[in-house]
Amino acid sequence: MKKLILILTAAVFAVSCSDNLEDLNQNIKDPTQVSGESLFASAQKQLADQITTPNVNLNNTRLWVQHWQETTYPDESNYDQATRPIPDNHWRELYRDVLRDLKEASKNITATDNDITNPLKPNKLAIIEVLNVYAWSNLVETYGNVPYTEALDIENLLPKYDDGMTIYKDLIVRLTAAINSMDTSKGSFSSDVEKIYSGDVASWKKFANTLKLRMGIILADADNATAKAAVESAVASGVFTSNADDAGYAYTAAPNGNPLNDNLVLSNRNDYVAGKTIIDIMNTLEDPRRGSFFTDVNGEYIGGVIGDQTVYSDYSHVTPSILGGDYPGWFLQYAETEFLLAEAAARGYNVGGSAESHYVAGITASFDFWGADGLAGYLANPAVVYNSGAWRESIGTQAWLALYNRTFASWLSVRRLDFPVLVEPIAAESGYPVRYPYPVSEINLNPNNYAEAASAIGGDATETRLFWDKFDNTWGF
Amino acid sequence: MLVLIVQLAFAQEKTISGTVADDTGLPLPGVNIIIKGTSTGTQSDFDGNYTIEAAVGQTLVYSYVGFDTQEIAVGASNKMDVTMQAGSVLDEVVVTALGISREKQSLGYSTQQVAGEDLATVKTSNFTNGLSGKVAGLQIRRNNNFGGSTNVVIRGITSLTGDNQALFVVDGVPISNLNTNNPNQKNSSAGNYYDYGNAAADINPDDIESVNVLKGAAASALYGSRAGNGVIIITTKRGKKAKGLGVTINSNAQVGFVDKSTFAEYQSNYGAGYGGEAFTSEDINGDGIDDVVANYLDDASYGPSFNGQLIYQWDSFDPASPNYRTRTPWVNSPNGAITFFETPITLTNSISISNGMEKGSYRMSYTKLDQSGLLPNSQIDRHNFIFSGNFEMSDRMTASGFANYIKTDALGRNSTGYNDNVVGNFKQWWQTNVDVQQQWDIYNSTKRNIGWNPGSSEPGASPIYWDNPYWTRYENYQNDSRSRFLGNFELNYKLADWVNITGRVATDTYNEQQEERRAVGSVPTSFGITRGNVDSGYLRRDITVTETNYDLMFNFDADISESISLAGILGTNIRRDEFNSLTNSTAGGLVVPGLYSIQNSRNSIPNSQEVAQKRGVDGVYASASLGFGNVVYLDGTIRRDDFSTLPDEESAFYYPSVSTSFVFSKLMNVNAISFGKLRLNYAKVGNGAPPDKLFDTYVINTDTGTSVPSTSNNQFLRPEFTTSYEAGIEMRFINNRVGFDFSYYKSNSEDQIVEVPIAESTGYSRKLLNAGEIENKGFEISLNATPVKTDNFSWMLMGNFTQNKSEVISLPEGVEVFELARYQGGVRINAVPGEPYGVIYGADYVYNDNGQRVVGANGKYLRTGPNEKIGDTNPDWLMGITNTLNYKNWSFSFLIDVQQGGAVFSLDQYYGQATGLYGESDYINDLGNPVRNTIENGGGFINPGVLEDGTPNTTRVDASEFGQFGYAAFPQSEFVYDASYVKLRQASLSYSMPSKFLDNTFMTGLQFTVTGSNLWIIDKNTPYADPESGLSSGNSQGYITGSLPTTQDYGFNIKAQF
Repeated sequence: MKKLILILTAAVFAVSCSDNLEDLNQNIKDPTQVSGESLFASAQKQLADQITTPNVNLNNTRLWVQHWQETTYPDESNYDQATRPIPDNHWRELYRDVLRDLKEASKNITATDNDITNPLKPNKLAIIEVLNVYAWSNLVETYGNVPYTEALDIENLLPKYDDGMTIYKDLIVRLTAAINSMDTSKGSFSSDVEKIYSGDVASWKKFANTLKLRMGIILADADNATAKAAVESAVASGVFTSNADDAGYAYTAAPNGNPLNDNLVLSNRNDYVAGKTIIDIMNTLEDPRRGSFFTDVNGEYIGGVIGDQTVYSDYSHVTPSILGGDYPGWFLQYAETEFLLAEAAARGYNVGGSAESHYVAGITASFDFWGADGLAGYLANPAVVYNSGAWRESIGTQAWLALYNRTFASWLSVRRLDFPVLVEPIAAESGYPVRYPYPVSEINLNPNNYAEAASAIGGDATETRLFWDKFDNTWGF
Repeated sequence: MLVLIVQLAFAQEKTISGTVADDTGLPLPGVNIIIKGTSTGTQSDFDGNYTIEAAVGQTLVYSYVGFDTQEIAVGASNKMDVTMQAGSVLDEVVVTALGISREKQSLGYSTQQVAGEDLATVKTSNFTNGLSGKVAGLQIRRNNNFGGSTNVVIRGITSLTGDNQALFVVDGVPISNLNTNNPNQKNSSAGNYYDYGNAAADINPDDIESVNVLKGAAASALYGSRAGNGVIIITTKRGKKAKGLGVTINSNAQVGFVDKSTFAEYQSNYGAGYGGEAFTSEDINGDGIDDVVANYLDDASYGPSFNGQLIYQWDSFDPASPNYRTRTPWVNSPNGAITFFETPITLTNSISISNGMEKGSYRMSYTKLDQSGLLPNSQIDRHNFIFSGNFEMSDRMTASGFANYIKTDALGRNSTGYNDNVVGNFKQWWQTNVDVQQQWDIYNSTKRNIGWNPGSSEPGASPIYWDNPYWTRYENYQNDSRSRFLGNFELNYKLADWVNITGRVATDTYNEQQEERRAVGSVPTSFGITRGNVDSGYLRRDITVTETNYDLMFNFDADISESISLAGILGTNIRRDEFNSLTNSTAGGLVVPGLYSIQNSRNSIPNSQEVAQKRGVDGVYASASLGFGNVVYLDGTIRRDDFSTLPDEESAFYYPSVSTSFVFSKLMNVNAISFGKLRLNYAKVGNGAPPDKLFDTYVINTDTGTSVPSTSNNQFLRPEFTTSYEAGIEMRFINNRVGFDFSYYKSNSEDQIVEVPIAESTGYSRKLLNAGEIENKGFEISLNATPVKTDNFSWMLMGNFTQNKSEVISLPEGVEVFELARYQGGVRINAVPGEPYGVIYGADYVYNDNGQRVVGANGKYLRTGPNEKIGDTNPDWLMGITNTLNYKNWSFSFLIDVQQGGAVFSLDQYYGQATGLYGESDYINDLGNPVRNTIENGGGFINPGVLEDGTPNTTRVDASEFGQFGYAAFPQSEFVYDASYVKLRQASLSYSMPSKFLDNTFMTGLQFTVTGSNLWIIDKNTPYADPESGLSSGNSQGYITGSLPTTQDYGFNIKAQF
């Protein structure tokens, strides 16, 4: 009897301790459902961060357009893109942290059925589309052919690369559709979610048109007809008309502070000085904006030799006014718009006004933005006066100046217009980079499609000009 | 143990009685006494006494586990006292799976034992380090981190990304060996992480009786999936009848000295700078004229030569400095970086009391460990309490229990990885002119962060790249404490003579609190939950881990006939484990300096991070062992496990094993062969997934909004399986004077549950898949010999040899390269089909068809892209040889530990050679001049090689400034070193007081031991580092950055028994 009790006790003990196995495997600390709005908020910030950051692991465009130069460690200003895997990082940021989240945001917003928010859905989805196009266009402008139709699908681990031109035209179509679907009489996202325009649809419509204008101009050398149509319809629908329209992401403070603040102030590091190229050009023009862009060294503006190690204290530094935690991260600006319109006019597109009037408006807008005086004297300078016979040089140089601290936008401009004449870095590891090489992760993980794309664009080198970049650089390297 | 008591009437029987004792006179209870040829028998009682009815002419057979069996004929006398001799290895019994003792000869798989004494000889804070070189097939990789984790792997890596560590079992109960390090610490080289050690380190070697390593999967199919990597079975000391009071006191002191060959040896000619002979010009003394100033901003030693000239250096900037505004000679520092290290001292004291009584036995012990480390402000304290006991409640029921409480407090673990690592600073970015003693003096007198690398020459300027190293150690330190309880309670009931039933509950639970801090005024670095750049902050992590096991086992042991024995187990195991963690930190810095609390956050406190994971496994198993005449044994096991972490349809699976052993020596009558056994086994072990891997959950970001996760989970996961085969032969000759054990094994792990990196254009970085196969095969040899054995002197030799070859047979479809880790310096550790697991990829030299290195037009070598294979982290083979010499009461032994092959990438050399710290950038060149002279002064060097057109390179590169050495000029392959070594791992000399001296004292035993550990690295190829350094335990090895130097440790131990 005693034995029996013992065995039974043990058995009961054992059985009662066996709780339901399946219930154990639930992650009770992380959500299985979230709102599309919260996904959108994250995607928008990631995109702003990636466009704005100066971090050498993520975005060296300010160095490549020779606005800035590095101090102790000049590897990136010499076009080192391997030691720090910048192409990998940029690819990942855009595909995984922006586009995937935007896609999920769109899905979740579409699936949400709520009488109060349903009327806002079309606007929300349109704004998501606009950001989608912004991100995709950046990928195409930066790498060339990229996975598009087969991308963002976890079931397809080997997405094929689509032709860059085809993608770009499709993006313009999508943008147009988004613009047409916007209803400015209704709202969209709330201001704690949408940090550029606080959800104001009218502003987003202008943004979308301005983006379309830019994309059209980018296509101009490759496909004039499509470009003309896109530019003219965008202008007709309404682009930016003043600095107040500028699209800036409203940073606040860490961890939502401007990456410039994190990298140049909070890190307590002195990694950058002014670049000699921009200082020389601005000194020659006696450009009043020098003081807004840079600090002086005993009354003078001195720029670091491109590609060289420089001693921080010997050269002009980046102005502190753009390094605050709450300084905006710029997506598109009005001054930029005027230069695009100037170029459109120079190409004979019908955008109203003349190339010269838009050119002057662009410079004016830039001076306004930076709060610089002496506009009149500057405009009178023969070196500044618009030269319609060399419009690429005129517009190229002034746009490049106005696009100070505008990362990808400034790099786009110099690649397309091939002005101003840049200087070869003293220890350049490659020719001038007109694209990012494809990421090492794609070479390893999607090798066949990568190889096809590499040959389709003419070789996976940083010097391979992309489909829209029809002309060689003027600076010979 | 079988005793069937049958009364047989026999003529002329008389009562024989006597006492059975061992050779020291200690009575032996439980000795079997059987009348030969019958099954009549008895056992000696607690005092070793027995009585038995037997007739003259019959023979009594006395047998006892661990002792030689004796046969004595019954003579005229009625009193037969017997002395048992301590056992030949034939009857050796080992503890196997589930705490079951088996005779070693009956095992069909490979095991190897290590005595507790061997592990307790040298005291460290992680006893697993003591296993290195002692067991064939066991690879121990310590990482040289203070209190750090040790990698314990048996027979190679089987799981691509899962846990490959061996399972630790204490007295039949599995315990957690969790490494709670941040995954980023293990798989990347980002800095500001710490190695918090692995939980098995809590076990106190003084409490260990023996360790048995079960090597292959067959040895462990009874433990289920975790034992697929092998099992390390630890048996703690049990109470036994003692002479005297049963008290043992152990006191040990150990002192360490830096082994200089594992630390940097600097060039002594050049100091701070990047630009050669140029100094900095600044007005320091305020007279309006620029002075000559050291290049204080530059964290490199590629600057001006030391000619003793008087210049202003970092110590002239601050008014608190004795050299304020004073020029000092520009010389190589008399107190270089090596003076930063302190002398580590370890004190271990323990007391244990154990005794046996008629109905039970107990053991209690307390051990205290106090260890100070190499770096200033580092300390580990551990208290270890154990109580274990067993008690015979009746003649059928026995109860036993074990309770172990361990409290560990650690302070000042070294930071691992790249950023903010003091030792990395010394080895990669340092100025040879810095006097470390001065750094201490100024920190100690001002408690301010006045460093050698200030951002400007203004008084009070904060450092730009590196803090004062003493500031880092005394202000930006971490501390942690762990409070752990291991306990089990077991009841064993003898249902019948041939079957007993055991029920056991066991738990292993601990709370761990980790605190990390940075003081206001430090160089900003990424810190806290948001990992944003910040100078100060506080982070706190609270972790709770619990594992509970419920076991119910039926244990059979019967003889089917006289020569066929049958033993079996039928059992069930229910395991539940839980992991919880809560992490909080400040953000944006501290408001009140010196106050380390979460509320003291300048910015609003970021979201806490919580993790809660639960896992359960329900298992049922059965095993049967048939023995035929003690010559052939056949074992089979089968287990069914049901995992909570797999989808319902696939959550349960079976895994079997079969093994056989054939003691062929019993059939042979060759005198020279004392023992010979052949063994074969086959086993299949399945493994479930980690928790919460079936469905995706979103991520709540620390900055804004929510995101889709980077890894896509898989709701169709299947279990992974490892199938292994093993064949072995064990032989002993000449009365066990010489013996060897040879095993050959092959194991294949398939359907690996792997987070596979995928093309990120899919919107994800990784996908969880069942795919991939790894094969490990190899052999192990262990050798034992006693070349000399006389009454007073013996010389024993023990050697172990291990060779394991791993190969990645396949990866998930579409994946050509699986990246295990990506490290600072452009180096990746990859798994590639056709290659061994863990190969190093990076850039290499460009070679032409003749195998010559190609040089570019500027005289610098051309470098390939980043995807060349440049090294293999796996060793070719491992070997350990122990010599033990015994002379009367003296014993001397030493262990030589050898690794051949394997490769490590040294980030220290990658950067340090570029920054001009080492002789590689300061030597006399082919023209007989210092290489750093300008070209005009005959400096520079010519890289041996050819140009692209094949003509020899004749371009002399100018090395007068930074840029021609290290990472600036050479590919990563240049900094991959052979990790082979030959080390004098351990040596000890002990003296036991002869009993005749102790007879008049109250002591029953007294032993003195002098030990040395890591005494001498006889050979190595990694410059200025120990090839065994690393970041953490875990699957990514082969990377050295800023690791601590190795110390030669000398210890003295007294053990007294009362």
